[in-house]
Amino acid sequence: MPGIVCAIRGGPRSERTIEEAIELARRTGEPLYFLYVVNLDFLSHSASSRVHTLSEDMREMGEFILASAKAKARRKGVDAHTVVRQGRVADEILRLGKEVGAHYIIIGRPREGHEDNVFEETALSEFERRVREELGAQLITVREEGK
Amino acid sequence: MNTYRVNRHRMGTYVRWVLPVFVIVAFFLTGLPARSAPSTPGPVLVGRVSDREGRPVEGARVTLWAGERVVGEAETQADGSFTLPLSSPPLVDAHLHVERAHYHSVRVPLPEEKLRGGRAGEALLVGDIRLERRRTPAFWATLLIFLLMLALIASGRLHNTMAALVGTSLIFLVSYLGRLILPDLFIFDFEDAVHFIDWEVIFLIMGMMIYIAIVERTGIFQWLAFAAYRLARGRAWLLLPILMAITGVASAFLDNVTTMLLMAPISVEIALALNMNPLALLVPEVMASNVMGVSTLIGTPTNILIASYAHITFDEFIVHLTPGVLLAFTGLVIYSEVVYWNDLKAAALLSPELVQTLAEHAHITDPVALRKAGWIGAGMLLLFVLGEQIHIVPAVTALIGATALLLWVRLDIEEMIEAVDWTTLVFFMSLFIVIGAVREVGIIDTVAQAIGKFVGTNLTLAMLTVMWSGAIFSAVVDNIPFTAAMLPVVGSLTAHIPGAESKALYYCLSVGAAMGGNGTLIGASPNLVTAGIAERAGYPITYTYFLKRGLPALIITVSLAGLWLLFHFR
Repeated sequence: MPGIVCAIRGGPRSERTIEEAIELARRTGEPLYFLYVVNLDFLSHSASSRVHTLSEDMREMGEFILASAKAKARRKGVDAHTVVRQGRVADEILRLGKEVGAHYIIIGRPREGHEDNVFEETALSEFERRVREELGAQLITVREEGK
Repeated sequence: MNTYRVNRHRMGTYVRWVLPVFVIVAFFLTGLPARSAPSTPGPVLVGRVSDREGRPVEGARVTLWAGERVVGEAETQADGSFTLPLSSPPLVDAHLHVERAHYHSVRVPLPEEKLRGGRAGEALLVGDIRLERRRTPAFWATLLIFLLMLALIASGRLHNTMAALVGTSLIFLVSYLGRLILPDLFIFDFEDAVHFIDWEVIFLIMGMMIYIAIVERTGIFQWLAFAAYRLARGRAWLLLPILMAITGVASAFLDNVTTMLLMAPISVEIALALNMNPLALLVPEVMASNVMGVSTLIGTPTNILIASYAHITFDEFIVHLTPGVLLAFTGLVIYSEVVYWNDLKAAALLSPELVQTLAEHAHITDPVALRKAGWIGAGMLLLFVLGEQIHIVPAVTALIGATALLLWVRLDIEEMIEAVDWTTLVFFMSLFIVIGAVREVGIIDTVAQAIGKFVGTNLTLAMLTVMWSGAIFSAVVDNIPFTAAMLPVVGSLTAHIPGAESKALYYCLSVGAAMGGNGTLIGASPNLVTAGIAERAGYPITYTYFLKRGLPALIITVSLAGLWLLFHFR
């Protein structure tokens, strides 16, 4: 059965993305997969050799963030799955999308120009094209809110 | 993705094998025979070459002339001394010519009666010969390269190690190729350059890295953080100082980046379980790490540099610095409680399921290795403390402890090589060479003279100047190159200011350089690592956010630690 992949990072800005994904899962009846991608590129300039130290802890932190999203889905009557991967965010979303035969990919889209944007405008267009061509799925971007 | 992985793999292989070889080759290069005084059976001419401040000048070429004829040559030793054999016929119209790169040459006439009648083995004293500094084009080239290296590190455009390697390469390029165009672009040759590498620092850091690599696999930090959570029984205002204390104590013995790498993810989980903003725990924790790291010799790389340069022992750090650091830490805890009070007050347990997940993540993963690391760590601590009495330098203690632990835990050689952060060691080695160039061309002397003019012989003013300039600079540039560059400056001030022989200025540099890291997000590596982890949890720490909370913390902690130092060394 095809599914919905919702990639989240946690924090207040992910709240709307999670809610949209839960609502879509309720509406379509498709299984919902919450995805957290461990990406340790931020260590490349200061502590590149410590990637092995951190990756397991970050994986556990990702599980924790997803557990909270899963609990929220359960409260709304949706039984969600959680998946933690490590690598480049776009690649890992597409990989999981292929594995579950996703119809929908849901990601948050922080405010324009904000420093924690995962996808810049051009990268987002490219990602949308890949979602369409490689998965035949629809990309839903949810404008995130919060400080 | 595949290309990316292959490149990362190649890079990993490179780091795994090339960098260790680089470190080892450099170590043996520094073992090249030092210049030695010639053996002299006849009468000898003995003298000393020093600079304007009276400090010995090493490597100056001293030539003995008789009229138009060269009759002897020598090079000054580390203490500035030289010994020249005298030929048996009496020398007529004799003089010494002393020259060294980056100094004005001098001609010292030798009166004939002084040289007459010398017997075999007799030493005829010339006395002190003063050399004046000369500001050559190499001075400006080195200054530019040093500033470029700092800018590359601060901007994050290159990895710190890469920036330091670029600096080192440029120094050699200018020195070797530049002098072909303009002789005054000569800085130093390779043999002199590698002698600036402080191997005590390199081995101490390497030993501690191996020890930490084994401890970090045991899950002790995660267990401690969860124990703090249980102890506080969900009361976040109580949880905060406990987590800060755990982070602080760990930072006093382990490096701050590792401490935050291990504490930050579990702290995020605890905060989420309590339905509170994780930054209310993470920011005070990283500040505690920066503050408490100062309390021991092995707590920060800057302390390791200071201890090695100024020959300060582990016990001296504890006696002279730890009380001040504890005072600063207390101030920081109170400040953090006030700043984050609303977040702490609002915290409440979200769900028992999350606590269960938290408990699963916070268990000791390797109790056997932890027990062994505990025994070895206690032994190392004892050796650090007793080191001065039994003449064991901290580097040797760290190396013995790390080796013993490797043998006991039976880590294989591949894992050991991965455990050592070779890039950091190469960073230090390259940095020592760049700082060596900065010293060689006289930049350090210029800065020391400027500060010396400002502070005069006033110890209190000198302490405040060193401490606050250290804090301000460390908030905006990497504190390791800053400290390495400041050490000879502080050494010069210590030699001239009455009362500074207590090494008070070095402790001020330690406080300023490390606690200054709390001022800005880029002020210390643990800040950036913590920000990266927080951002991955959906709670970005912006530059402004950190500045607003970090700058007052810097002022409070440096003031409190400074008060202690002024009181202690008054």
